[in-house]
Amino acid sequence: MSDRQLDSTATRRQFLTVAGSLIGAVAVAPAQAAPPAPATLAAAIDEIVGDAPVRRGKVKLEVPPLVENGNAVPLTVSVDSPMTEREHVKSIHIFNEKNPQPNVASFYLDPRAGRAQVSTRIRLADSQKVIAIAQLSDDSFWSDNVDVVVTLAACLENPQK
Amino acid sequence: MNDLPQINRRSFVIGTAAVGGGLALGLELPFGRAQAATGGPEVNAWVVVRPDETVVIRVARSEMGQGTITGLAQLVAEELDCDWSKVTVEYPTPGQNVARERVWGNMSTGGSRGIRDSQELVRKGGAAARLMLIQAAADAWNVPAAECGAVGGVITHKPSGRTTTFGKVAEAAGKLDPPKEIQLKDPKDWKIAGKPLKRLDTMDKLTGKLTYGIDVKLPGMLNAAIKDCPVFGGTLKSFDAGKVAGMRGVKKVVPVGDSAIAVVADTWWQAKTAIDALPIVWDEGENAKVSSASIAEWLKAGLDAEEAFVGNQNGDAKAALADAAKKVDAVYAYPYQNHATMEPMNATALYAADKCEVWCPTQNGETALAAVIEASGLPGAKCDVHKLTLGGGFGRRIFTDFVRQAVAIAKEMPGTPVKLLWSREEDMTHGHYHPVTQAKMVGGFDASGNLTALHMRISGQSILASVFPQNLQNGRDPATFQGLNPSGAEAAIGYTISNLLIDHSMRNPHVPPGFWRGVNINHNAIYLECFMDELAHAAGQDPVAFRRKLMAAHPKHLAVLNAAADGIGWEKPAPQGIHRGIAQMMAFGSYVAAAAEISVTGGNKIKIHRIVAATDPGYAVNPAQIERQIAGSFVYGLSAVFYQECTVKAGRIEQENFDTYGSMRIADMPKVESVIMPSGGFWGGVGEPTICVAAPAVLNAFFNATGKRIRSFPLKNHNLSFA
Amino acid sequence: MTHALVNVPARAKRGEIIEIKTLISHPMETGYRRDEVGKAIPREIIHRFTCTYNGVEVFRADLFPAISANPFISFFTRAAESGVIAFNWTADNGETHTETATIAVD
Repeated sequence: MSDRQLDSTATRRQFLTVAGSLIGAVAVAPAQAAPPAPATLAAAIDEIVGDAPVRRGKVKLEVPPLVENGNAVPLTVSVDSPMTEREHVKSIHIFNEKNPQPNVASFYLDPRAGRAQVSTRIRLADSQKVIAIAQLSDDSFWSDNVDVVVTLAACLENPQK
Repeated sequence: MNDLPQINRRSFVIGTAAVGGGLALGLELPFGRAQAATGGPEVNAWVVVRPDETVVIRVARSEMGQGTITGLAQLVAEELDCDWSKVTVEYPTPGQNVARERVWGNMSTGGSRGIRDSQELVRKGGAAARLMLIQAAADAWNVPAAECGAVGGVITHKPSGRTTTFGKVAEAAGKLDPPKEIQLKDPKDWKIAGKPLKRLDTMDKLTGKLTYGIDVKLPGMLNAAIKDCPVFGGTLKSFDAGKVAGMRGVKKVVPVGDSAIAVVADTWWQAKTAIDALPIVWDEGENAKVSSASIAEWLKAGLDAEEAFVGNQNGDAKAALADAAKKVDAVYAYPYQNHATMEPMNATALYAADKCEVWCPTQNGETALAAVIEASGLPGAKCDVHKLTLGGGFGRRIFTDFVRQAVAIAKEMPGTPVKLLWSREEDMTHGHYHPVTQAKMVGGFDASGNLTALHMRISGQSILASVFPQNLQNGRDPATFQGLNPSGAEAAIGYTISNLLIDHSMRNPHVPPGFWRGVNINHNAIYLECFMDELAHAAGQDPVAFRRKLMAAHPKHLAVLNAAADGIGWEKPAPQGIHRGIAQMMAFGSYVAAAAEISVTGGNKIKIHRIVAATDPGYAVNPAQIERQIAGSFVYGLSAVFYQECTVKAGRIEQENFDTYGSMRIADMPKVESVIMPSGGFWGGVGEPTICVAAPAVLNAFFNATGKRIRSFPLKNHNLSFA
Repeated sequence: MTHALVNVPARAKRGEIIEIKTLISHPMETGYRRDEVGKAIPREIIHRFTCTYNGVEVFRADLFPAISANPFISFFTRAAESGVIAFNWTADNGETHTETATIAVD
């Protein structure tokens, strides 16, 4: 996957500079038949974070590095947080890079959760990045991302697209 | 009978010098790590050089007889400039690949892509290693690396004549940073790649040293036999373990998933005997109503269906056909077929709470590992797969059903390795089949006898809809149109027809489809190339001349067609009683053609006297291996068209063994005269494309011999066989 | 959408963090799938899941087609008091499903 510069707006530039390695996640692969245009994933993330910077850290996204066909990929996302009234996770948002739609799920927690950790199973259409962004009670945003290889997709890659 | 001499495989091998150091693939099969035999410093991920100058080349793809490990090793060795006689090969595991951020890349072996997909990566790996070895020597000598060169594993400082060898500097080389600039050799300068070198694995096969999955033996290992519901989609309702618990060697009866049952015993025969005696009740479900007849009727309706997915379109075929001065039409049908690998499906699994390992043949180590991760429920870092040479793949072992089953069984006996082996019957009835299709072909001529229109309607099963629906394009399966695409570097049609429509009415029966060597070109080549002959005949034209007129814009297709025609002597009259046929196709990036000479006796006994094959794969890494692949593919493809179909009755596959699923014999097969004509500038595959042209060439020859056009297969159904 | 399983501990100490696991049968039809003749199957998914504890929402999830069939969701909450933990799933077509579990908190 090649990195691509997004159209720069103040928002995005800020996002990209601070996000560090998240740049790779947001700059999307060359257009193919079905996947979202580069703007869609960025737009979906924008809807959640708006102008705020997203920092790498606090969030741990656990997904197997290899899956066969991507139909039921186990995912656990956890956020390092005391989950007190003063300091807790408000929400965790999961995104993907290459499915027809960028959103996977949004989880809303409150201090009563005790532990900011959610598990589910997701679908991945192709080898791609999965991204988790957590919003804390102070409205800061933190993220993690994982590269997942869908091995059947690798079997069917056409070298001369 | 008692005084037969001891048969020793070695005695069959007369005076062969072992080329290459042999194969480090699972030779000792130590418990745990198949590569433990490797010692010696890694120069980079691709190359290990031992102090004794042995060069170990890492290969990511899977060897299944197609010769990929030798070919890939040749490419690495070429750039590395080592001594080929010192080369041996090993497989990194998929777990190691993941741990090292996929340094070895994609491990998938299918689509005839082993060489063409990885050639650049592996060549760069070899070149980088060479540069690092040279740099290490230069550093030791305190001279500029630019004054040094490497040939055959020896590094020379040109101005002074000082030399050293790879083995002496490998450890230092491995500590260097990889080079940033890598220049690959021009194929015209190749000395190792491009040469018909002996394969690296033949010796171990001949001496019986090579371990296949079916041969695996681990300490304390138990054996398992399995039965999955005979009707696809059905489930296991009940079984009476009590009836077999007391049988000799039986350890456990284990349900697997919701549709299968396994018996674990000391030996496989004990397990099989017990599972045959085990009372089992299946819930066969709705699919028990399906038969080959019901499938055929459903497909037939698709031939005239209003809606279809379009694969190739030019002008207005329907209108042109309506206006045509002369029309020719025909309906063809192609059956389900099984891969029928000589080694049945198998996998050996060892499960413990903190680790799950599997030893198996697989066409994609990473897919197998993904299956182990999913089936074991353990984290990826605690799982791994040890790849073994495949006793045949042909596309069957891209699937992981047998891996998941083995892990599920092993989970019931933690700490004990369990080898799961399918019986031949289980293998024949639980395949992933060559899809079933029919085709309606309609061609139209103008008053001058020019072909002006062609409508090819395919009705039948989509492989991707079942195996990987994510790749469908708005419901359309692009793989259906292999060899029929308007353009592109992978599988384009070789004809220009002003009014063309190739479309697909998708009908997906319950029988699971898969990638059978050649995938969709086996039937597409028969449909197109046999019908082209029908059109030529209707127009009163020679089949080659008729084709040539449509191929001016397809020079590479035309080149192989001409080479096959020239090879068979098309322009010259055939000997008495000999009849010829020809076919051409493009798929998997390569251009292929075949011309056959046959004779027919008694109207139904066919003898193939000659086959000429012309192949343009762009580059030829090992021409001898390509010749063998072509010949082998012809055996596979001709056996299929003569003898092989999998019919459905009461929802299940009827053919359970080779008594009802035959194969050619050596006497039936002529020597294949191969013209390998790599035209350069592109990398095409070899494992598959050639398979599709032998059958239509023979079928076209059959028409010329008898005036009979065969349009449904296999030929045995028409009482046709080899003479 | 008839069959759901919820796993809630029957008792817990006050303030203890407990894990709740839920699983509901539902095809989560993405809208991108095709039937056996290639016709598109319309989207129909569960798009919202909520958990209330004695009437107070303690967890909520918005789900999209990328959630696998038979959605499995597990999360945590503090055992605050004895009472009823209720789960609600809402599908695109408006259908809902509810499960409840009781918990005794010392």
